[in-house]
Amino acid sequence: MTYPLVDWVSIQALLWLLGLSTLIVLGLKIWRWLRQQRVQQRSVVDRVNYLLPQTQCGQCGYPGCLPYAREICRGESINKCPPGGTETIVRLAKLLNRAPSPLNPAHGEFKSFAVAAIREAECVGCTKCIQACPIDAIIGGSKLMHTVIEKECSGCDLCVEPCPVDCIDMLAISSPATFEWTLPSTVIGAYSKLDSAL
Amino acid sequence: MTIALTSSPMQHGQLETNRLMLLVIAACLPGVGIGTWFFGYGIIINITLAVLAAMVLEAMLLTLRKRDLKFYLSDNSALVTAVLFGIAMPPGSPWWLVLAGIAFAIVIGKHAYGGLGQNAFNPAMCGYLFLLLSFPLQMTSWHIPSDAIVDAANFSPLGWQGLRQSMLLSFPFLAADAATVQATIDGLAMATPLIESKMAAQNALLTARDTDLPLFARSSDTGWEMVNIGYLLGGLLLLYKRIISWHIPVSIIGTVTLLSLLMYAPGSTSIVGTTYLHLFGSATMIGAFFIATDPVSAATSNLGRIVYGIIIGVSIYTIRVWGSYVDSIAIAVLFGNFCAPLLDHYLRPRVYGHQRAPLLGEKRRTG
Amino acid sequence: MNQLQHSRKIARKLRAHRIFGGIKPLALKARSLRSRIMPTPIPEMLILPLLQHQGSPAAPIVNVGDQVLKYQLLAAAEGPLSVPVHAPTSGEIAAITDAPVPGHGKQSQRCILLRADGVDNAIGLLLLPDHRALSHWQLLERVNAAGICGLGGAGFPTAEKLRSSIERGIELLIINGAECEPYISADEALIRERAAAVVSGAEILQSICLADRCVIAIEQDKHDALKQLRHSLESSSVELLELPTKYPIGGEKQIIQAVTGLEVPHDALPMDIGVLVQNAGTAYAVHDAITEGKPCISRITTLTGTPLQTPKNFEALIGTPVSFMFELCGIEESRHTGSIMGGSLMGLELVRTDVPLIKTSNCLIAKSRAEFPEAKPEQACIRCGFCATACPARLLPQQLYAYSRNQNLEQLEQLNLADCIECGACDYVCPSHIPLVQYYRASKQAISSRDQQRQLSAHWQRRFQFHQYRLKKEADGLQEEERAHRIAPEAAHQARGFSRDKARQEIAAAVERVATRRRNTIASSRESD
Ligand code: SF4
Ligand code: SF4
Repeated sequence: MTYPLVDWVSIQALLWLLGLSTLIVLGLKIWRWLRQQRVQQRSVVDRVNYLLPQTQCGQCGYPGCLPYAREICRGESINKCPPGGTETIVRLAKLLNRAPSPLNPAHGEFKSFAVAAIREAECVGCTKCIQACPIDAIIGGSKLMHTVIEKECSGCDLCVEPCPVDCIDMLAISSPATFEWTLPSTVIGAYSKLDSAL
Repeated sequence: MTIALTSSPMQHGQLETNRLMLLVIAACLPGVGIGTWFFGYGIIINITLAVLAAMVLEAMLLTLRKRDLKFYLSDNSALVTAVLFGIAMPPGSPWWLVLAGIAFAIVIGKHAYGGLGQNAFNPAMCGYLFLLLSFPLQMTSWHIPSDAIVDAANFSPLGWQGLRQSMLLSFPFLAADAATVQATIDGLAMATPLIESKMAAQNALLTARDTDLPLFARSSDTGWEMVNIGYLLGGLLLLYKRIISWHIPVSIIGTVTLLSLLMYAPGSTSIVGTTYLHLFGSATMIGAFFIATDPVSAATSNLGRIVYGIIIGVSIYTIRVWGSYVDSIAIAVLFGNFCAPLLDHYLRPRVYGHQRAPLLGEKRRTG
Repeated sequence: MNQLQHSRKIARKLRAHRIFGGIKPLALKARSLRSRIMPTPIPEMLILPLLQHQGSPAAPIVNVGDQVLKYQLLAAAEGPLSVPVHAPTSGEIAAITDAPVPGHGKQSQRCILLRADGVDNAIGLLLLPDHRALSHWQLLERVNAAGICGLGGAGFPTAEKLRSSIERGIELLIINGAECEPYISADEALIRERAAAVVSGAEILQSICLADRCVIAIEQDKHDALKQLRHSLESSSVELLELPTKYPIGGEKQIIQAVTGLEVPHDALPMDIGVLVQNAGTAYAVHDAITEGKPCISRITTLTGTPLQTPKNFEALIGTPVSFMFELCGIEESRHTGSIMGGSLMGLELVRTDVPLIKTSNCLIAKSRAEFPEAKPEQACIRCGFCATACPARLLPQQLYAYSRNQNLEQLEQLNLADCIECGACDYVCPSHIPLVQYYRASKQAISSRDQQRQLSAHWQRRFQFHQYRLKKEADGLQEEERAHRIAPEAAHQARGFSRDKARQEIAAAVERVATRRRNTIASSRESD
């Protein structure tokens, strides 16, 4: 029996070999990829903390954002952060796969960003606001005038309450008048959709 | 302070969605024409029925969903769904079957997902598969006027008699008495465009080649090849007009070709079929050019499209050769649709200025 | 990858390459190319914004009421990313005030208003027929003083770009003559009529940035311009490269890809791969600035659009109001429905026509309803993928669109929205009339404001951590202090080299010495007794 150099079966065998080796290479790649997927995972507390606004205002009832993030991971509800507003709740809900719920009014309501400003003439230099500020953004000495470093202020509101002469105001920051593109009007953004759903 | 301002670009291309849909329909015409030439008016009756029903249903649903009727109807997408569905249906199917199928396609396959652009699956194939699962008997028998077979030499399916018999098949209630209908229906039951009863189709083709029939002979045996060539031409038109990209059809046809080359053992009695049979003996061409390329439910990146085509091609072949389902294209396309979002997510092209696509390699570095 | 490898790569690869994606919009250049470039008459009032480029505004050095001459410096550069402004004609400074300028939305900026006296008296210019007489730093200084910024539309200060390129080291200078926007013909007209000057500008630029090679890249369908260029290039080392006609091949990243086949890495600049791109118009302005000493006071601008009776290219004075330019072309107000500054694909819509023409305005289009019909309503995305095929950055516009709709910023970043050059190719081909670019612009802004917020958050977090650390340290500090008191003397002694044992020995020794002495004293006294 003579064997032809190229016949149907040899072509088929070649193609099979090609196909199989491709499959093996692909399989290896997928395996490597899957392994890599496993490695990088940040801790959940970190990721929750990342989503919180870091104003450190304590309106949630915890001393700072990180403690609240820890409690969220232990099952605390996610709707206690007024400065974060709906957007933060939605993001948290997505991250933790929980149902979003409206902001808990017991903890305050969402306000647009404002920074504290001391009416300096009225300041009596009691240092109470300095002690209240969670991020050391107020400078001044005992019996001397105090002032808020506007650039550093997180707008947490915590200094307003302790001031004995009520000389601290929260002022909305005027943003520079730049042109902003809006999403074309036919669209309802996800958050507004959620707002109406809530 | 924001002012409603149009963003650049201010100039736009000419091709619009509604025109694009019409072009798809136009590209179907050669195939439909050839089909009619060989098999009679069944396809045209199907298409007409489906189109009418689809338009009414679409209008109803749009009203229900409180959409602007004129605006959404004019995108012609329901039209395309209806035409493809009509083509896929066995000619001579009773009217209620067609209506049930197109209703499923439009209501569940399309609008339940949120309308055009949101449907994860090809609506026409949804409707078709729904019928296939619910009415297997009706769907696997393909009626053409009995005289076309019995008296092929003298009977023209295009003539008055052909039309009459086709109408009788679709609308049995038109007949004066049940016997007439029965006589017509008994005519023939065989594979539909999307259903390849393996043996039947193979035998038909083998006979066709062995007996060396003239090319345009009105025989349902050779009709298949010509119909497929018709759709191939239509598909090439779509490619030429750049309405579809070559990736999906080429990878489907390539996969089917390769697999059938690999598997076919000449001389053996196995039923896997030759490459020729797989390409032209069934609905491969319409599947590859018209159904799998439905943009909404297909993968969108070029690499994704190729893999999508391969998945469909492999499924077609597998189902045909080893599957217990007689149908392949519809299921294969739906299977591809399942994978499309995943493909879109993982098979992205390498963006300009980036080292490499995130193709199953390292996790993308965002920076 | 180091410079050397790059240079080899560039040298090997210099030919017309394919760019990703791209579209072929109907070109409408012929309209404005029928006549030759015409200088504009001097308008009554010129509006000269202090910021016509990317960067920081110039500082005025003249006062209201001053009489100035043509070419005189009106505002000097302040800081590295600033460009001086010169007087386009002679006249009186009418005001230095906020006036509307072209930009997105209704934006006003500080401008110098110059009332022309019509005499057009000029100050003397310093001619320099041969640029080789000066060193490249001196040339650069002259470019800087001439107030040139990228005239192709981006408006980056040219001198600054050249300076940082010199520092990085440049292999290849590309003079971008590819003008892919379908309406603009300014560069084509310029090259057609003043090819020699453009070539000379290219040579000057090459000798400034010390590039090994210089290529003028131009589309192959600009026949007249090509002919002139070939002619002017006969005795020059500058090379010519013909590119296919495709939008947006004239984009900086795209032309680099088209000429060298290399891509600019997403986190780097062209100069990082040894390439510098300058617009042909900029080259011409550089030629004027160096050899004739003229500062940048005019530019070639295309005026086109169906409402204009005589569309053509103008050599227009910077600061000329747009409405004045339109009138020069005989505008039919009844058909005029709006105006675009820049091309039809990347230009910006003008809400008013009393804004001035600035250094970056390469084209003014008068819109008519027939040519620019109102935007059709957005239909559903059918995922046809036309947009992905057209995208020169090889993004997936339809996915970007889907994620922009629900503002999924993380996914948008994953899909590299930042690499979108806003060319509008996707928008052009979209059969469903989706204003894709607007979605991307809105999303980009959302991302950047979120990033700002994140930076703030991180900052506050650090400060809070420090605050807590400080409190803790202060609380610890009190106890610490007490302990510190107890151990302090010993530590102080140790610091001076004392040790208890040594001290004891010394004390013992001293006691011993004293005792001995006493014994001796007693003994001696006894003896004396
Ligand atoms: S071109 Fe338009 S319709 Fe087509 S996929 Fe892109 S966005 Fe969707
Ligand atoms: S505008 Fe952006 S997404 Fe669209 S084609 Fe241009 S680069 Fe691509």
